[in-house]
Amino acid sequence: MTMLEVSLQIFRYKEGESPHYDTFVVQVADSAFVIDAIDAVWATHDRSLTFRRACHHSSCGSCALRINGVEKLPCVTRLTDVWDGHNPLRLDPLRNFPIVSDLVVDVSGFFQRMSAATMTITRDAEPFLPVSVDNLDDRIQPAVVELPDNLSRFNRFENCIECGICMSACPTMAADDKFWGPAGLAAIARACQKTDDPQEKAHLLALADGEHGVWRCHSAFECLEACPQAVDPAGKIMELRRELTAQRFKKKRRG
Amino acid sequence: MATLKHSKVISAGRWFDVRKRKMGMWAYALNRITGIGLVVYLYLHLAILSLLSHGSGSWDAFVSLARSPYFLALDVILIAGALIHGLNGLRVALTGFDVGIKAQKALFVVLMLVAIVALGTATFMIFGG
Amino acid sequence: MSLPHVIVIGAGSTGAATAHDLALRGLRVTVIERGEVASGTTGRNHCMLHSGGRYCVTDQESAIECIEENMILRRIMPDLLELNDGLFIALTEADLAFKERFLEGCAVCHIPARDIPVKHALAMEPFLNPKTIAAVQVPDGVFEPFRFCLAFLATACQNGAVVRRYTEVTDILCSGKDVMGVKVKDYRTGKTETLGADMIINAAGPWATEIAAMAGVSVPEVPTAGVMVTLDCRLNNMVLNRLNKPSDGDIVVPQRATSTIGTTSWKVEDPDLIAIPAEHVARMITQGEQLLPAVRKIPMRAKMAVARPLIARESTDEREVSRTFECFDHAFDGVNGFVTIAGGKTTTSRAMAERVSDMVCHKLGIAAECRTREVPLASYRLFYQRGQS
Repeated sequence: MTMLEVSLQIFRYKEGESPHYDTFVVQVADSAFVIDAIDAVWATHDRSLTFRRACHHSSCGSCALRINGVEKLPCVTRLTDVWDGHNPLRLDPLRNFPIVSDLVVDVSGFFQRMSAATMTITRDAEPFLPVSVDNLDDRIQPAVVELPDNLSRFNRFENCIECGICMSACPTMAADDKFWGPAGLAAIARACQKTDDPQEKAHLLALADGEHGVWRCHSAFECLEACPQAVDPAGKIMELRRELTAQRFKKKRRG
Repeated sequence: MATLKHSKVISAGRWFDVRKRKMGMWAYALNRITGIGLVVYLYLHLAILSLLSHGSGSWDAFVSLARSPYFLALDVILIAGALIHGLNGLRVALTGFDVGIKAQKALFVVLMLVAIVALGTATFMIFGG
Repeated sequence: MSLPHVIVIGAGSTGAATAHDLALRGLRVTVIERGEVASGTTGRNHCMLHSGGRYCVTDQESAIECIEENMILRRIMPDLLELNDGLFIALTEADLAFKERFLEGCAVCHIPARDIPVKHALAMEPFLNPKTIAAVQVPDGVFEPFRFCLAFLATACQNGAVVRRYTEVTDILCSGKDVMGVKVKDYRTGKTETLGADMIINAAGPWATEIAAMAGVSVPEVPTAGVMVTLDCRLNNMVLNRLNKPSDGDIVVPQRATSTIGTTSWKVEDPDLIAIPAEHVARMITQGEQLLPAVRKIPMRAKMAVARPLIARESTDEREVSRTFECFDHAFDGVNGFVTIAGGKTTTSRAMAERVSDMVCHKLGIAAECRTREVPLASYRLFYQRGQS
């Protein structure tokens, strides 16, 4: 295991001060992830550096930020995958969120949308294993699973970890503050898929059909590219559009 | 809680920022730029057509201007814009209704190749024939 | 008479559950956290909702706590859990010999355990080591520590609690033998503030010793780190444990589309910066391979390490140190208005909160009962959506 000397150029902002970048040099293992380097800056250089993190394994979604301008989760991004070996690594907070301090953004608006979308964080598990968000090709042949005698189903958490990366990457989100955003619309789509109640479905579709809903998407597909959890927000937005269009035609035929 | 928000002006221009973005974002930005270009062209076109109401003299003057190579070059740019916007528009229409999303990048590449070929043909016809 | 004000230091599972308990009892609560919620030990835990099976032979006190709390959490946060049970797997004769003691231990601790046919285990878990010779099913589950804490804090905030993140306690202010409040630095603004309190609860996990020192007292804590490795795909639906005494890398906890192998154990001097030993990472893969041979084929998605706040005991073997928790009333050390709650596991954080809240209410002369066993938690999203800063 070799040690690397990395320089990080980190966005800084404190209330009442102008935003600027600070550069720090830290020593980390070559197998380190970017979150470990940020941790090293905080621990050894500047305790006033504020940044979000909790799980360090892509389940909480809190650490999302931009590495050299591109949205990523630093906890699952290896340093050597994004660092060229000599230039400083630039860290910025997510786009399209108000900045609280340094790399910490205000996610209250984001969670308001996720709440209004009413998607529950759990879902039925797939009837087979393995399950992955990254394409593992044919490393392992999938196998169907049997259920235990005492359980009617296996369940798991939804892919979406509410990290906000898609919201940062979306150009419509940049232009329209009130846009539901890829995460919000994907959550509406999932909530729709999981409910049997026709009234609830109608309510959710009405949300998607609104002024800041699916029709604001302009197919940039940045959300699809940036999502670290294979939520496919673009696909879900288009599914909702198809559903809404089909509904309109049905109404025309009836009335 | 005081937070740092960017001004509305910067926000409005942020869709422009294609640095570090993927193909879909480039297609989106191109579509917007060509769209704006085509709208500007539409106004110009209508303004020029209104010359007809001023009699044959001003119209003939315009037509001789329109024959100059500089003007023909503008026509080529116009055709490029229309082809890009129209063909990419097909892609947006398809993916917008959940058709071919998985192939959206390939679709963009193919359609832009068609645009290039068509543009080449048009340029030849404008300047060559 | 104004309500007593309690300051809770730390927004990990202990601090979050404590804030919830006290807020329900009608006290004014302020939680002070220097980072993000669960950014310390809690965030990087193994995400396992323990059935207690792991401790039913070697640490029955912990095991009983675990199964009780397991059942309570299923009631108060039903939407925040993956509930697929767990299996204890025997791969060797030694494991098989342990099975008898294991089943006995589960019975004593009231953990529902089922000895199931190996064929059935392999059908439920197709990637389980085909050399499995016995399997026992227990009610293990999976949670997410971040949303776990957010749910407790959201409920506490609904009941009037205030949570200050990115705010670090820099000193504990005393007047003679009485603790009066804390001095804090708010890293969002760079400003220093003084906050008064009638009682301070030190729930800072492995940093509890550092906080206690500010009041001139000590806590017998041994920060003990552990490494976990998360794989890029979910190879198992149920939690898989080795059917034997606790040892390194003997649990694989699935979650979403990943499987996490853990863990190891070594004492650390500085819980602020822990270098992840490559040797431990390699050991997780080798150990994980025993339960799930396909582990070797899967790329690593993440690795993490953090210090557990273990309470020092006579034994020098970290594995033997009890995972139970303890409250320290520092009045016995000559400092009034200051208590520490240390040790424990996230699965038992509600019970920890009950114990310290009972102690604090007793000291403050408040006759309020604990209601956290029954009151369902509010949506975790409410923590942020209310404009929490």
